Amino acid sequence: MTVLKTSMRNFFAHKGRMALSAVAVLLSVAFVCGTLVFTDTMNTTFDKLFAVTSSDVTVLPKAAKSDDTPQNGKPESVSASVLERAKKADGVKFAEGAVSSMNVTVVNSHNKNMGSTTGAPTIAGNWTRNDLRSMEITQGHAPRGPTEVMVDADTADKHHLKMGDELRTIAVTGDFKAKIVGIATFKVTNPGAAVVYFDTATAQRELLGATGRFTQINLSAASGVSDTRLKQNVSSVLGGSGSFKIQTEKENSDENRKGVGEFMNVIKYAMLGFAGIAFLVGIFLIINTFSMLVAQRTREIGLMRAIGSSRKQVNRSVLVEALLLGFFGSILGVGAGVGLAVGLMKIMSSMGMDLSTRDLTVKATTPVVGLLLGVVVTVLAAYLPARRAGKVSPMAALRDAGTPADGKAGLVRGLIGLVLTGAGAFALYTAATADKASDGSLVLGAGVVLTLIGFVIIGPLLAGGVVRVISAVLLRMFGPVGRLAERNALRNPRRTGATGAALMIGLALVACLSVVGSSMVASATDELDKSVGADFIVQGNQRIVPQAEKAMEATPGLEHVTRYKDLEAKMTSPDGKVDDSGITAADPSYAQDLRRKTTAGELSAAYGKDAMSVGSDYAKKHGVKLGDTLTVAFKGGATAKLKVAAITDDDVAIDQGARYTSIETMKKYLPANRIPPNEIMFAKAKDGQEKQAYAALKKSMEPYPQYQVRDQTDYKQELKDQIGQLLNMVYGLLALAIVVAILGVVNTLALSVVERTREIGLMRAIGLSRRQLRRMIRLESVVIALFGALLGLGLGMSWGATAQKLLALEGLKVLDIPWPTIIGVFIGSAFVGLFAALVPAFRAGRMNVLNAIATD
Amino acid sequence: MTSAVTIPRHGGTGGRTAVAARARQVVKAYGSGETRVVALDHIDVDIARGQFTAIMGPSGSGKSTLMHCLAGLDTVTSGQIHLDETEITGLKDKKLTQLRRDRIGFIFQAFNLLPTLNALENITLPMDIAGRKPDKGWLDQVVETVGLAGRLKHRPNQLSGGQQQRVAVARALAARPEIIFGDEPTGNLDSRAGAEVLGFLRRSVDELGQTIVMVTHDPVAASYADRVLYLADGRIVDEMYQPTADQVLDRMKDFDARGRTS
Repeated sequence: MTVLKTSMRNFFAHKGRMALSAVAVLLSVAFVCGTLVFTDTMNTTFDKLFAVTSSDVTVLPKAAKSDDTPQNGKPESVSASVLERAKKADGVKFAEGAVSSMNVTVVNSHNKNMGSTTGAPTIAGNWTRNDLRSMEITQGHAPRGPTEVMVDADTADKHHLKMGDELRTIAVTGDFKAKIVGIATFKVTNPGAAVVYFDTATAQRELLGATGRFTQINLSAASGVSDTRLKQNVSSVLGGSGSFKIQTEKENSDENRKGVGEFMNVIKYAMLGFAGIAFLVGIFLIINTFSMLVAQRTREIGLMRAIGSSRKQVNRSVLVEALLLGFFGSILGVGAGVGLAVGLMKIMSSMGMDLSTRDLTVKATTPVVGLLLGVVVTVLAAYLPARRAGKVSPMAALRDAGTPADGKAGLVRGLIGLVLTGAGAFALYTAATADKASDGSLVLGAGVVLTLIGFVIIGPLLAGGVVRVISAVLLRMFGPVGRLAERNALRNPRRTGATGAALMIGLALVACLSVVGSSMVASATDELDKSVGADFIVQGNQRIVPQAEKAMEATPGLEHVTRYKDLEAKMTSPDGKVDDSGITAADPSYAQDLRRKTTAGELSAAYGKDAMSVGSDYAKKHGVKLGDTLTVAFKGGATAKLKVAAITDDDVAIDQGARYTSIETMKKYLPANRIPPNEIMFAKAKDGQEKQAYAALKKSMEPYPQYQVRDQTDYKQELKDQIGQLLNMVYGLLALAIVVAILGVVNTLALSVVERTREIGLMRAIGLSRRQLRRMIRLESVVIALFGALLGLGLGMSWGATAQKLLALEGLKVLDIPWPTIIGVFIGSAFVGLFAALVPAFRAGRMNVLNAIATD
Repeated sequence: MTSAVTIPRHGGTGGRTAVAARARQVVKAYGSGETRVVALDHIDVDIARGQFTAIMGPSGSGKSTLMHCLAGLDTVTSGQIHLDETEITGLKDKKLTQLRRDRIGFIFQAFNLLPTLNALENITLPMDIAGRKPDKGWLDQVVETVGLAGRLKHRPNQLSGGQQQRVAVARALAARPEIIFGDEPTGNLDSRAGAEVLGFLRRSVDELGQTIVMVTHDPVAASYADRVLYLADGRIVDEMYQPTADQVLDRMKDFDARGRTS
């Protein structure tokens, strides 16, 4: 009982000293809880949406998948007769045919894409009774003829669409225009899809290119008939489920949800991973805090021991304090987490993904997980300092306390650290020299973890040397104040080591990713320079519809235009093995657009009649030689015998392993309505007309804003921007860990200042000015920060370089170390040090000299 | 009524005045209204240059407060303090710090040294902070005097208490301050080590012409001084020149008795 009381008193007496540790716990827990609340809320939003968009029973074509457009770009459909048959099933209240396609783009009269910018689909369909469950018409009326369209209110708001405005819908069957006659508002949160409705005939004609077909049949159950019952009835009327997919409301929304859920899980675990890194960094902060508290309280603990407290009691009293810290930090963290989730939703909304706080979902497990994680991590982190407290001898009570003994880094620690670092370095070396990327990745992971742990362990030993070097370069110019700062940073290497290590973790990841990212850009640029011969590349998130293809071909100033289609096909090699990774059909000019080395034959020959090429890996694996004949079964078409006319070298990043054949050959085996739209298209300008052609091409593609037209320079820039954006996002997430590490530096300094109160008083008494004192503390902080940065950047760059060596097998051939970033981070760390020292230095400067000297 | 203002007996060096520091009507009070406590009550005192002055008095008499005020470590409520010709009362922290750095030396009872610096670095610290080069010859002489020649590279935790205080004395002397203040500099030492340290202080006054003010409650320590000031209830109640330990002790007993009967 007394133990608890002392712990409580100590905790509240020193709550100021624990404040930053509590903030670290708070931040990490908040990130975990925020992630959980955010992803749960997203799931709730989709659940609600799918629950109202699914009818009681749905009949779908057999092959339909919710997230997949079929090869030819038109949705799979069923005949209208199915609707008539289904209507006759027992228990059907009403049935209706629905048409819906996600393979469309809707633009306004200025050719501006009305779709979401966040990756949510544009959905075009007919207006059905089922839609009334999720939406209501708030303006105008439902579409009644071929020139009428209704749009959802969110899209109308976003793009300032009014009644009477004209929208053009671009589908694979062609473009068509319609005027807005109605606006429908979602009754649940629509996370961002743009939705347009036509009348049934228009939808069938324009989206499916056929009358009398539906993409799904929606059935509503009569009262007293369960969904399952109705499904059985419908199934028997339609002659079994053999030719259709028949789903109850639950099955349908579950299937829809599954795709979203998987995506959400990826986001969730990625974010939790970053929260984990923040926790890891927070551990260092907590260890440092408790080590310092124990050190400062040595005399008091000695007294407790002298008057009869057992080791265990002392030990426990420290752990109880940790428990309290973890508890309070986590409680606040859970609250902050909900706030964070709301903030994230606001950010998503501003980016065009609508989420409503009405759907805010805080599951009961969320606070439990947050609290448990926070408390357990804190108590575990405090375990070592607590054990050290238990080891304090009763004699400590009698000794003159002065400043706590300076911790020395031990030999055993050094050995363990060196062994781990060595093992890690060996693993990295093995990974760098691995023959196959898949073999090396695990070893790379082991190397990263081992070197990280190794560095954390030998950090205190390295602190001595590294700090001296940094000081020699940097601090000497600050004279005696610099020397004092150096000595202070060196006096407790364990503390400096742990503080620096916390920063090291975050910066190592930043350095590693920046090296990989910049190598990716450099490698891609290198390969593009070497192999891409096309002047222009046209591509978008909708496959290139025939009308856009025609517009492109009609562009003046082009020497050639290349079509490129990915085909599903099963290929049988002479050794009897079947491979279903498909085949690429392109125009012969593709051989100029993407120059590829061959190990046998001429690439242009692959575009000959009934000819093809294969990749060298495939050829080697299946013993395929030039002139061999492969059996290629085109999906939805006939089976062809194609002669191997070229074998391409697979030591590339673009089109690695691709098989090529000509579009002419493909046309022989695939019926016209099965030929897919182009995946991507290339063009080459006539000599000397590059500039005009680029402008002309952009102009002719203007009606199709879903496609980006880029020349090589823009393409490279875009690639760079994309990787840069991705990196920035990851840096943003790593910022949490770095913030916690900076808090750690602040924490160490603040506690050191408290611990050195008497020294500070003495120095002030003998003439150290406030400015000099503040500078001394700032410099110490800068040295600690630079120590962490140096270790982190060094470690991270070696990880990055290893990863590049490993991924060279996958085409990441060029190692590019982004020195501006690395140097920027290093210099930035110095500023972080300055920043972290602001408050501790200010407080030290404000200390009353006499009180400081008198402090025990 | 006390006759605390004394005429110095011998002049200082060079063109400086004979008084190293003087206080006029210095009041130091804490709190206000009913809880007001007066630590120094209109004190007038002159510290003669080149002399060893001891300040004595029972606990709470204000002796440490007086020293702190004279040394510019503490502010006064009213009155003036001059160090040589400089009025230090009313100086801003920056000037005061500079003054302490350049013109004053300190020896505290304990914790005089920075644990991260070795003995020599501790000795030269005030000059390092000021960005001045120590006078090599003088430094050698000081180090020689306090007998630390062999231990200059030692860290404080490798030195005994007496040695640590000698380093502190050396530090105070090395910068050639106008005045050295000691706050019970031998309070934590055994009598032999204490005698050693006091011996050095005495010698620095005799041989180097140093001005020293020392707060102590130890009659033996006070007997090393040229002059002893007695404080009680924030006032200077007596003084004594060329004291011996016995005389000091007797006087103290006297005060004690008076204190009890009053």
